[in-house]
Amino acid sequence: MVLLAFASVEGGQGQGMQLFWLSVGFGLVTASVLAISAVGLSLQFGITNYINFAYGDFMALGAYFSYALNNELLHLDIWVATVIGSLGMGALAVLLNHFVLAPFARRFHKTFYVLIVTFGLSLVLLNLEYSIWGADVRFFNMSLDRAHHFGPVLLTTSQIIVMGIAVVTMLAVHTLLKVTRLGKSMRAMSDNTSLAMTSGIDTKRITTITWFISGSLAGLSGSVLGITEGNLTPAAGELFLFVIFASVIVGGVGSIYGAMAGALLIGLATEVSAAYINPAYKLDIAFVILIVTLLVRPSGLFARPGRA
Amino acid sequence: MTSVGPTGTTGTAPREAALRCEGITKAFQGVHAVNGAGFAVPRGLVTALIGPNGAGKTTLVNILSGSMTCDRGQELIGSTDVTNWPSHRIARMGLMRTFQLSRELGGLTVLENLLVAARDQAGEALWNIFLRPGLVRRQERDNIERALDLLETYGLYRLRDSRASDLSGGQKKLLEISRAVMASPSILLLDEPMAGVNPALIERIGGYILDLKRNGVTVLMIEHNLNVVEKICDHVIVLAEGRTLAEGRLSDLRQNEQVVRAYLGEVIDAGTVR
Repeated sequence: MVLLAFASVEGGQGQGMQLFWLSVGFGLVTASVLAISAVGLSLQFGITNYINFAYGDFMALGAYFSYALNNELLHLDIWVATVIGSLGMGALAVLLNHFVLAPFARRFHKTFYVLIVTFGLSLVLLNLEYSIWGADVRFFNMSLDRAHHFGPVLLTTSQIIVMGIAVVTMLAVHTLLKVTRLGKSMRAMSDNTSLAMTSGIDTKRITTITWFISGSLAGLSGSVLGITEGNLTPAAGELFLFVIFASVIVGGVGSIYGAMAGALLIGLATEVSAAYINPAYKLDIAFVILIVTLLVRPSGLFARPGRA
Repeated sequence: MTSVGPTGTTGTAPREAALRCEGITKAFQGVHAVNGAGFAVPRGLVTALIGPNGAGKTTLVNILSGSMTCDRGQELIGSTDVTNWPSHRIARMGLMRTFQLSRELGGLTVLENLLVAARDQAGEALWNIFLRPGLVRRQERDNIERALDLLETYGLYRLRDSRASDLSGGQKKLLEISRAVMASPSILLLDEPMAGVNPALIERIGGYILDLKRNGVTVLMIEHNLNVVEKICDHVIVLAEGRTLAEGRLSDLRQNEQVVRAYLGEVIDAGTVR
């Protein structure tokens, strides 16, 4: 991951330590982006019980919505554009579920068929992005970042904001799931849909709300990924999708807190390893962690019956 | 409003029907599990639904609670036609159910299992969480208070923060009933509430059912234990081969040759009733 941030070491502890702290800073930023996206994917999986392979394209599309509001249409501040763009992606996710995915899920009870549909949807959305914004790299319109010292680590303003957004998002998701009636209904549905229904929960409405939240989180993570990367391409989300899968599976499929922990682990491990070996192997590192986790604890680090 | 009761076989005074079904039919690959069943459940009483294995009792309860759709027939709650409504809408009409094999929301705590069943909550809507946080918080506080009271009543208070999946079989039965009661139902369908339960707990569950009746809840329960039926049920409906064979008081039904041949003889032979 090419980041705008850089790190420095105070006290001259040597180049090795400099590199280490630099990569820890990168790792925390990557983990922040991963956590937002992994939680969004996990929420949706918990409710629908199938993996959405178009999630990476939801991220990219959300980022392009933010880009359009920031740089093409209204010239909004980057953070305002990010919020509106993300909510726009949430609304689109609801429509895509209602008109594309849900009819297939109703008709074909085998998850495999719906997976194929999400693959198809992914291709359609990717080509839509190419047809509208082309293959050229795009850049957000944002002011120059200032650098801030945090002990041995230096982070830019935008990176700090991204990390703050991730923390606030995680707290909001935690509050939603643990405190609110809506969140409890989501967890109940994730646990046992038919029992949730006989308990009076309107599962269709919960599914719609979940798609909205999941789509919004995809849009948000795509936007902050574009901001931390410094650029935007249609394929960015798809490339990131495999790291998200690794985070979700390492944490325990369907477990929201597992997804958060998985994101932190994968984010830090991939960036710290990139400081010492060829960064081209970052994805491989994520999958090594995934394989080792599955060998040692097949259900993931934080999986328990009932998820979330 | 339909009145049900003494149709020649029962001594129960005529009562308004809380739940009524007519001509309910359900076939699976051509085999009829329920074949024209129809009856009325008197309001405010405990009614037993009995019959031999394969009579269609559970299928019928699944249909009445919206867990399954019927091929033909009609279901009325009070005077509202709720035929083939989804189960969450039927639950919101005040009809709750339990299952033969206890089902719990295993990943949620015992307390949370009750909280999700509370009806008409503002916090179910995303916008209310942001626009009416005071109302949402107040309702949640009231619900927690009520849920804790219920857990106290059903002897589950000390387990309130345990995961529901960690409960024993008997505790899960109690959790299921208390979750259903949390929704303030007007009608409760219990699918073999005494199955696999020790005698002491059978006594307790029987007491809870009678308490519900005293509070005006209409109960329809599938039950094979005729001792229990005799003790707590006011009205009995016999189902055989997917049809309603007879209804009335158990003492009267014991004299009914058809019922004895189809079911009671079999149960007496098996020693379920003394």
